[in-house]
Amino acid sequence: MADTQGNGAPSPGGQYSGPRAVDPAPPDTHRQDPDYITRTRFLSGVAVAGGAVLTAAILVPLVGFAVADTVKDEEWRWVDAGPLSDFAPGETASLAISGPNPEADRRVFVRYKDNQIIAIWNRCAHLGCPVQYIQAGDNYICPCHGGAYDSLGRTTAGPPPRPLDRFDVKVVADGEDVGRPGDVPGSWRVPRNAPDGARVLIGKAFSIDVDQNPYRLHGPGEEVDGVLANLYPF
Amino acid sequence: MGSAPVTTKDIGPKNPVAKAGEAAVDYVEDRTGARTGLRWFLFRNIPAETSWFQTLGFAAMAVFGLQAITGIFLAMYYKPEATTAYDSIRHITEEVTWGWLVRGMHKWGATAMIVIVFLHMGRVFIFGAYKYPRELTWVTGAILLIMTMFMGLTGYLLVWDEKAYWATVVAINITASAPILGPYVADVLRAGPEMGPDTLSRFYSIHMLVIPGGMATFIGIHLFLVAKLGIAEPPWSKRAYRARRAEEEARRAAARERLPYGRREVSADPATPETVTAGSDS
Repeated sequence: MADTQGNGAPSPGGQYSGPRAVDPAPPDTHRQDPDYITRTRFLSGVAVAGGAVLTAAILVPLVGFAVADTVKDEEWRWVDAGPLSDFAPGETASLAISGPNPEADRRVFVRYKDNQIIAIWNRCAHLGCPVQYIQAGDNYICPCHGGAYDSLGRTTAGPPPRPLDRFDVKVVADGEDVGRPGDVPGSWRVPRNAPDGARVLIGKAFSIDVDQNPYRLHGPGEEVDGVLANLYPF
Repeated sequence: MGSAPVTTKDIGPKNPVAKAGEAAVDYVEDRTGARTGLRWFLFRNIPAETSWFQTLGFAAMAVFGLQAITGIFLAMYYKPEATTAYDSIRHITEEVTWGWLVRGMHKWGATAMIVIVFLHMGRVFIFGAYKYPRELTWVTGAILLIMTMFMGLTGYLLVWDEKAYWATVVAINITASAPILGPYVADVLRAGPEMGPDTLSRFYSIHMLVIPGGMATFIGIHLFLVAKLGIAEPPWSKRAYRARRAEEEARRAAARERLPYGRREVSADPATPETVTAGSDS
């Protein structure tokens, strides 16, 4: 008790240790007060803040470099897929078109039936394998996990959670549209008397549900409607 | 220097070559403490029941070292461009001297590493060697497992043939199907919305630089913890068995004597507690 010196030694016997008339020396309150900003604490805080600024000055550009371009939505443009005469009515043609990146070429099935053209992407909606068109059954099969789609790309068997994605398609001649959009979003109705120079253009990709309603483009494996669609809000 | 004076009759080696060697080692030891540190690491006490199972950890590290070395040498001939990658690997396999051997070691070493790492993890689990104080050893090991699997994923694409390409497409799409952030993580991995040459470069950088750096760090931490905390006793070790038996005996003896609330300590020195029977005087 009465260890006012702070050196841990017990008080010598006999020393009065009760109340005194003279106040003891005031303790160094500032250093013990955790809320008081001493010079040491201020300078330490400045050093830490400066270090944080320098670290951010290096890390933020680096992370932006690695990430920013990759999460942008992909650009798209109308791609010329050939003259309308290449596509026989009642048949589905498979052709390779160039994607927005020079390297992102993709394969599209152009289905021309009942005077309507739709363009179906060959990317399987399950996990992205290339889907194969079966002429005999007018359907599509994915070799990876056994997904099967009907003529319009709707899932008939296997694990795909939604139909095959589609591309916007239109027919132009001399810079003017020939025909008009078809019944289903993304399709194009071709008139019977299309001019000779008419060309088919393939555009932006989008996803559809079972009723062929359009949605923004989803990645493979993602549902577009139902409860699970909330797992993919972006 | 500065150690206590040592009295010994050993005046060291007489052979001048051995003397030179000793002098060199002493030079480094005096300036770094390397020999002491190495002795601390190598000459550790281990439980009596240590068996071949405890070699799996070192085997995992050895395979990692093999992968690192063969990978470094493969990188001297591999060309990480979409147009040249496959051909450079064909060149390594068919034309470079022993290229087939180095590439084979790397390829099969990858499989061996996954197998050995899982065996090691299973051994640690069955031996209960993850319990206190070794929880952080287990956690660093789990992080190393995830990094090992990422090495497998990124290295697989570097061949850039059909199998590698589409396997990676599927793997990244599986990532993309994770909720909420999955598509973004997949976009970052894939360097864009579609696979392309940027993906190859990114995977090459991750495979060569990012993950090996991380693995080296975590292997260092993992090894340090293992050396510091010691090899764990298996649950069937004789010493642990004897200790458990002694406790059980003491408990039964106390119950037989019907001592209230356990044993009573009567010795003045608290380091040597003695039990007494209930009736005797203290």
